[in-house]
Amino acid sequence: MSEKLLHKFLNHEITEAELETLKASDEYRDYIKIASHTADLQTPGFDSERLWSELTEKKKTTEKKTVKVFQYRSLMKYAAVFVLLLAGYFYVTNLDATVSAGLAEKRSFNLPDDSEVVLNAGSKVNYNIGSWNKERVLSLEGEAFFDVAKGKKFDVETTQGIVSVLGTQFNVQSRNNHFHVSCYEGLVRVSFNGEDIQLPAGNSVIIEDGNIVARQEISGTQPGWMFDESTFENMTLENVVAEMERQYGVDITLDNVDEKMRFSGAFTHKDLEAALKTVCVPLQLKYTIDKQRGITIYGD
Amino acid sequence: MPHEDNVCKESVYNQLFRKLSPAIYNFIYFKCGNAARAEDLVQEAFIKLWENCAKVPGEKAKSFLYTVCNNAFLNEVAHEKVVLKFIKKTGPSINEQSPQYILEEKEFEQKLQTALSNLTEAQRTAFLMNRIEGKKYREIAEILDISVKAVEKRMSQALESLRKDIKNI
Repeated sequence: MSEKLLHKFLNHEITEAELETLKASDEYRDYIKIASHTADLQTPGFDSERLWSELTEKKKTTEKKTVKVFQYRSLMKYAAVFVLLLAGYFYVTNLDATVSAGLAEKRSFNLPDDSEVVLNAGSKVNYNIGSWNKERVLSLEGEAFFDVAKGKKFDVETTQGIVSVLGTQFNVQSRNNHFHVSCYEGLVRVSFNGEDIQLPAGNSVIIEDGNIVARQEISGTQPGWMFDESTFENMTLENVVAEMERQYGVDITLDNVDEKMRFSGAFTHKDLEAALKTVCVPLQLKYTIDKQRGITIYGD
Repeated sequence: MPHEDNVCKESVYNQLFRKLSPAIYNFIYFKCGNAARAEDLVQEAFIKLWENCAKVPGEKAKSFLYTVCNNAFLNEVAHEKVVLKFIKKTGPSINEQSPQYILEEKEFEQKLQTALSNLTEAQRTAFLMNRIEGKKYREIAEILDISVKAVEKRMSQALESLRKDIKNI
């Protein structure tokens, strides 16, 4: 009831009698005091006249640009310059750069604006050097950690969705049907399958086949793989094994094993045998390492 | 007369500027507390309106300006910590009050300003649009593109948090 009166008061619709009722409570007396004092404030220094004259100036310059007089005789000159510019433009805009990290390899490099990218094994990014400062867009296959320099919008495009940010640190993993975005600093927007979600620092989202399957909090300031460890949360064995193949550059065969079973945990990038153990033991699987046939994981 | 509110017409454009620029300026200031930035964004928004004057009908100009400003704010300013400074409207003088009362009022004023800076951006914008600009909930809801119920909620939350904050400072 009082709540309703309070809103009536704030909306300037309250009657004298109702105001008296409202003032009977300490809490609401405080609210009224705060509200009335705030109403006495005003924002500092807005000079509408000065702004208008500046604006008129700027408007003129934008208009000048659009009104240009072409003379027929000089048309050829303009055409020649135009063709040259066009050629230059195509040359510059086609300066595509591709950086990839092979199997059992991690790679870090800087973008033209000094944003830092660390590629996990078996990953690739592609971006345009020429237009980078105008439009920060890159495409990613695989997994990478980004430490983005402050500035305009920064887009990471994957086949499964787009991740857009301002200055921040985040990790994007896009492999097979699995799309995993973790935000370590700042705020990240993830667009996928016609949906749009915002991911604040300390959160991650897992999307499989275009649907959100989990949202969780993350700890630490960088993803595990940056410290030579792959971490998983409820991930299919198939994807875990694929990651192990990438990290060690090996082939792993699954024999009589349900590849859709789920694994949570981490494995190291430094010791293949230890890594195999940490995955196989909790899932009650066995493995063999054979020089000729490679690695086989099998069930009972 | 459809051409009557054509934004490309100098007089219409000027009128829109006179009518809307103070509120747009306030809107951004409430969000970011930076007067210079707010002025820049107002200017940018009106330039954009001019460039798009053929596409934006007069009655849409207001929401166009608010949207442009809100986007610019989200892109540039949203991550910065804000400190707002307001000035007091020069109203009837309070000379006849006791010094003690004046002192208390001043102290309250300062606490209020700090507490306002501590509100979330969403709460503060709605609250100050209502309090400082005297906008009705319906209008705020329209500008922020949220429901009237949501405005009510933000107002209540803002007051609650201000009261708590002022007590604690």
